[in-house]
Amino acid sequence: MSFFADKQTLDDLNIPGRQRNNSIARLFDTVVTSGGRKLLDSMFQRPLSNAAEINNRSSIFNYFARQSITFPFTADEFGIMEDYLSSGQRSSLAASIVNVVSKKVLQIAVQDKEYVQLNTTVCQIIGLLNKFYVFVNQFPNEQSAYKEQLDSIKNIFADAGLKWLQNETDVKRLSLVKLIRYDYLLRADFKERLQELIEMISLLDVYIAVSAVGKRKGFCYAYALPDSRNTITVTGIYHPIVESAIGNTLVMHQDCNVLFLTGANMAGKSTLMKSFGIAVYLAHMGFPVAANHMEFSVKDGLYSSINVPDNLSMGYSHFYAEVLRVKTVAQEVAADKNLIVIFDELFKGTNVKDAYDATLAITGAFSENRNCLFVISTHIIEVGETLRKQYRNFRFAHLPTEMDGSIPRYTYQLKDGITSDRHGMMIIENEGVLDLIRSKTKSIK
Amino acid sequence: MSFKTDTQTLEDLNLLGKPGRESVFNIYNHTNTRGGADILEHLFLYPLSDAVAINNRSQTIQYFSREKLAFPFRSASIDSAEVYLGMTDKRTMLSREDNNLSRKFSQLIDADSGYKLIYNGIIAIITILQNLSDFIEKVTSSASTTPYQTELEKIMSLLAHSDITVLIAEKKINKLSYAKIADLDKLLRFTNLSKIKEVLAFIYQLDVYVSVAAVALTYNYIFPKALHKDEHTIDFTGVYHPLVKHAIGNTIRISPQSNIVFLTGANMAGKSTFMKSLGIALYLAHLGFPVAAEKMEFSVRDGIYTTINLPDDLSSGNSHFYAEVLRVKKVAKELGANKNLFIIFDELFRGTNVKDAYEGTIAITEAFAEKRNCMFVVSTHIIEAGEVLRERCANINFVYLPTRMDINTPVYTYKLEPGITADRHGMIIINNERILEIIRSRKNKTIS
Repeated sequence: MSFFADKQTLDDLNIPGRQRNNSIARLFDTVVTSGGRKLLDSMFQRPLSNAAEINNRSSIFNYFARQSITFPFTADEFGIMEDYLSSGQRSSLAASIVNVVSKKVLQIAVQDKEYVQLNTTVCQIIGLLNKFYVFVNQFPNEQSAYKEQLDSIKNIFADAGLKWLQNETDVKRLSLVKLIRYDYLLRADFKERLQELIEMISLLDVYIAVSAVGKRKGFCYAYALPDSRNTITVTGIYHPIVESAIGNTLVMHQDCNVLFLTGANMAGKSTLMKSFGIAVYLAHMGFPVAANHMEFSVKDGLYSSINVPDNLSMGYSHFYAEVLRVKTVAQEVAADKNLIVIFDELFKGTNVKDAYDATLAITGAFSENRNCLFVISTHIIEVGETLRKQYRNFRFAHLPTEMDGSIPRYTYQLKDGITSDRHGMMIIENEGVLDLIRSKTKSIK
Repeated sequence: MSFKTDTQTLEDLNLLGKPGRESVFNIYNHTNTRGGADILEHLFLYPLSDAVAINNRSQTIQYFSREKLAFPFRSASIDSAEVYLGMTDKRTMLSREDNNLSRKFSQLIDADSGYKLIYNGIIAIITILQNLSDFIEKVTSSASTTPYQTELEKIMSLLAHSDITVLIAEKKINKLSYAKIADLDKLLRFTNLSKIKEVLAFIYQLDVYVSVAAVALTYNYIFPKALHKDEHTIDFTGVYHPLVKHAIGNTIRISPQSNIVFLTGANMAGKSTFMKSLGIALYLAHLGFPVAAEKMEFSVRDGIYTTINLPDDLSSGNSHFYAEVLRVKKVAKELGANKNLFIIFDELFRGTNVKDAYEGTIAITEAFAEKRNCMFVVSTHIIEAGEVLRERCANINFVYLPTRMDINTPVYTYKLEPGITADRHGMIIINNERILEIIRSRKNKTIS
């Protein structure tokens, strides 16, 4: 079963959708070919859930990051190859002869262009395949994570039936007999092998594109540990989309499976929580993550509740929407899944007393599940104080605010402890709202 | 000075709506003519801010409603007249000299559509004038004590013009000669155009009165009475939301001694609907229109501002909380300009954590409370803020919309009660969903 994150989580973290502004998928969307794009999409849709697979994929990325290779084709060139192979079935040599000869006859009789076109296309494809052959051979013949795939590409080229390719470098026009033969070979005899090759090229496209993004951004590759250990260690984690983001260090494990986060509104709580969620997701894809170093146990899924939308059309209040969200997570936890759960500022849409009771009860109950990791933020610091007395497996941390006169400054640097910083009133005061209301108050009885 | 409001308010109260959607405007929009529809829309967009003008219009509509007056014209006549008067090009004017054989021939074979338009237009105008004259005769005595009298007198003096009296007296309108038509064309379309246009304007206005009066009769709406603005008082009796089926009426009085209504209640208890019904009734009252209530008296206000469904402006990177602060700031500026306003805030500061919302609600409401000349309706789910305000301000009227628990299902009465709600459904909902039990039902809590 693959690693699972639901729609709410993906939206919270803005992961999928390369058309969406600032999405993570868009960040990595630098592939050239349409096949590469499809592969990239499917990698985003299905993160891996097996440590060996994850490490294998991430070491391939890592290998390409060290090589600094550019993808040898343009999208158009690659498109020609895909179109050629997917169109025109050649069931037998006879059929191929009939097809090509009839084109030739038409050319002579009515100056039809199809023959010339076919001739040019086949020449182009021979050229492209030779170009790729040269490209493949420039890889150093050393032991690497990519070696297995490299070898199978080389195997295809080494096939006796494709040997003629190398004799036709730089060919511009083929004779009728050669054209019939090559057209038949490419589209019938070697069709499957060439399709395989196209798959490999698409994959190569993804490797080159993703590793280049990772290298350019200075991302690191996370190391997946077997899921029997419940631990995540990440140093210098930051949000991949935020400009000049500040790195933080998070260490979570079985005996410290809840991070209880406090801090003022603008202090960066949500950003830190999102950075964590994104890093976990990308790490499970084997992709480079925005951090200095990361090690993690493979988990079954990721759930976040950061921007729970109201569903007023169904008559749900914000509070009820949050309750239902928590219930979904509770059911997953109860189903023995090992999850990473992120709750940002739960229970906004209710009164203070209920918010306190609910946050305390829910956080306490969740924290007993030591195989799951929780990051929970709140403004109700009293909850933190109570939890501190009852549980030993919490880490209490906060994002501090330093006051520069009446202007708050944020360090975005995680510190231990609980903070009571709140700036709602300060924002109201800085805007001068109360003074505006009180100016010119008329006194009437 | 005109009555002020803004787009946020119009959208919150769903006053204008979008085409095809339910809106308050659509309740009243049943005019017979396009001109009437234009006037109605104009009236809707520009409420009055003068008690006399409001009461005058209101009494005029009441008069129409009392007398159950119907629109005395056929809309086909009005349409023909409008098309006809719309042709302002002099070259289309008929002349006696054109009365030749070829014209007669083309008329015979029905090819002269230009003439047909003119002919129909003239006949329509004569019919309209005659209908109008009949209508005035009918209402003149009963309207004499109403403000409508002034409008009637104006139109009567217009109709008394000799060019027009002749037309009203014309008996054989179907047997007019070509020469006569040509004369009338010049008379109506060019010489007396402005008079005829005034007549149409009067008819459009009449259309509005008739259709709004009919709405009052259909839905049993009442006509609010405008009081002098210095009384700073509004009495709503049995006010309800005009777009909600089987809505329940509520009664509330707002005066300088209790100019803040502090509303609490569960989420589904009807807080927003109640607040909207107050806003809609007050807005319509400033139009002089009938409203959904049993009785209503109000001091004229300078404006109304509501904040019920504030949209997030995430594109500019502002949080919902900051959007709310800016909205409060905007209203605060208006308040600072010494106006008499009616302000509605639904769930102030819902975009932030409970603690900030608690402090913010107290601070803002306390500052509002000093503006005795303005009226505020503030709702919140932070009932703790109410307790503090009760001790600090004497002029806050605490009301709530109750929830009765029918075993485990909440039942709502939608009937206002004094006080602050004690309903705490948060934990009940969590317990109903059995969330804690679900979490604790996991077998393997730790890795062995």
